[in-house]
Amino acid sequence: MSVAASSIVLAQHVSKWYGPRRAVTDVSFSIEPGEIVGLLGPNGSGKSTIFRILCGYLAPSAGTVAVAGYDVIADSLNVRRAISYVPEDAPLYDHMRVDEFLRFMARIKGLRGAASVRAVEAAAARLDLSGVMTMPTGKLSRGFRQRVSIAQALLGDPKLLVLDEPTSGLDPHQVIAVRDLIRSLAGRHTVLIASHVLPEIEKIATRVMILLDGKLLTTDALKGGREHPTLRLRAAGPEATIRAAVNSVAGVRSVAAEPTGEGSAQPAELPHSYLIEAERRSSLAPEMIAALAGHGIAVSELTEAAPDLERVFLDLTRQPVQAAA
Amino acid sequence: MRNFAVLLLKEETALFSSPIAYVVMTVFLLIMGYSFTLTLFLSHQPSLVHIFFQMFVLFMLTVPLITMRLLAEERKLRTLEVLLTAPVSEIEIVLAKFVASMSLLALMLLLSGAYAVVLVLFGDPDLGPIYSGYLGLMLFGAALVAAGLLASALTANQIVAALVSLSLFLLLWIIDNFGWLLPSPFDALVTNLSLSVHFRPFAVGSVYLSDVGFFLSVALLMLLLSVRALARR
Repeated sequence: MSVAASSIVLAQHVSKWYGPRRAVTDVSFSIEPGEIVGLLGPNGSGKSTIFRILCGYLAPSAGTVAVAGYDVIADSLNVRRAISYVPEDAPLYDHMRVDEFLRFMARIKGLRGAASVRAVEAAAARLDLSGVMTMPTGKLSRGFRQRVSIAQALLGDPKLLVLDEPTSGLDPHQVIAVRDLIRSLAGRHTVLIASHVLPEIEKIATRVMILLDGKLLTTDALKGGREHPTLRLRAAGPEATIRAAVNSVAGVRSVAAEPTGEGSAQPAELPHSYLIEAERRSSLAPEMIAALAGHGIAVSELTEAAPDLERVFLDLTRQPVQAAA
Repeated sequence: MRNFAVLLLKEETALFSSPIAYVVMTVFLLIMGYSFTLTLFLSHQPSLVHIFFQMFVLFMLTVPLITMRLLAEERKLRTLEVLLTAPVSEIEIVLAKFVASMSLLALMLLLSGAYAVVLVLFGDPDLGPIYSGYLGLMLFGAALVAAGLLASALTANQIVAALVSLSLFLLLWIIDNFGWLLPSPFDALVTNLSLSVHFRPFAVGSVYLSDVGFFLSVALLMLLLSVRALARR
């Protein structure tokens, strides 16, 4: 039963109760093919529950979820053919060797014979597992277990990869390798990745959803930053002149002096930093430089500031507390 | 059912890479071998009837050890999450675990066939009761394994799974002793739930369709409930 059109994931008003406790409350979102979407939320916010519902492991108490056009309840097997899941803490069959485990997973994903061998070899090479292929998975370090778990998820070329805290327990080198791997999957696969580590999500995802206490606070935390970029300007000169020059440019929404942490004792002749929020236009920067030059201001830096996910996250997660107070 | 063979191979590997399979087989064969030798020398009768009754009791004690880990361990180690999010059906998973466990029981019975070979070589046994006894033990074993599988599907604790199935088996073993206390028709109903009432004819050489049907029905019902328990999300 095909239910959805272009979205690879379409969740509508999903709720999940564990007995009397509500783990997920009225969550709705969609994911388009090729996206790398991050689901950010503190531990216990309901990320894993949402992932388990997407993979058909749990049934939603209310609402509907379609993956690759199939309903997760009515067409569970077709959903599971389209999706690959890496659970948190990488559960593996400890009595199996790494090659046996990967071959087993390849076979239950429908790969047989030479196709199975090729897929296992490719996944092992991609995750750098060649040195541990004959080791029992029960004897592997946490980092290798995580890599084996990700390798099994790549088998069968799934449309959607769902990764629950994929970098937890990895050392910095491995974190970078996994991050690069996930980025390299963009386009060919759709990736949904959960983490409670904010910088991690910021570096990998093209879109970030924020979950708190089972409620989805936003389905695109970086949207504001994309539509209204923040520019960082460093320029020397009187602040009033700089503000007037910047405000004369079309599309500028706000100008604010960036806090330096050194108080206001800096001399006016030294460059100061300003954060400028503006509407996205390709000619914005040249126009701004021209306006500043016209007012006799020398510009030493004009760059687009990276979207501040931390600020968005803190703003969004503070709201319910303030509302309740 | 295209993944059944793959899952069965995985279950057989797990079963025979665990020490439980070998401990169960060794204990079973040691006790049965001792009992067979002793009885043969004392009675001088070329019969396996007493061995079948002892195997009947020993199956009730050992099957919970074989089945307790089947799903409880997967649930506890969270490998069930890996399995149930892969494109395999719950029926395939349950059947693979059932058939793998039955293969261990079949191996135990096959090895115990040495007693029958000894009787044939050195005596003149009536083969009918031997065939029916082994058939009865396989059917009885199937009912026990399916019930043990259900207990394992309902909990993440292997000890709880083993104790639940052991308690159920012991209750159904002796339940006919209480049947006569009940008014009709409950007396017949309870007596007919007894495992020993349905096994006894097999051991002495009589095969009744009702007994075959009883063990097959119990096995199918328990397997069905195991699939339901696994599909419950």
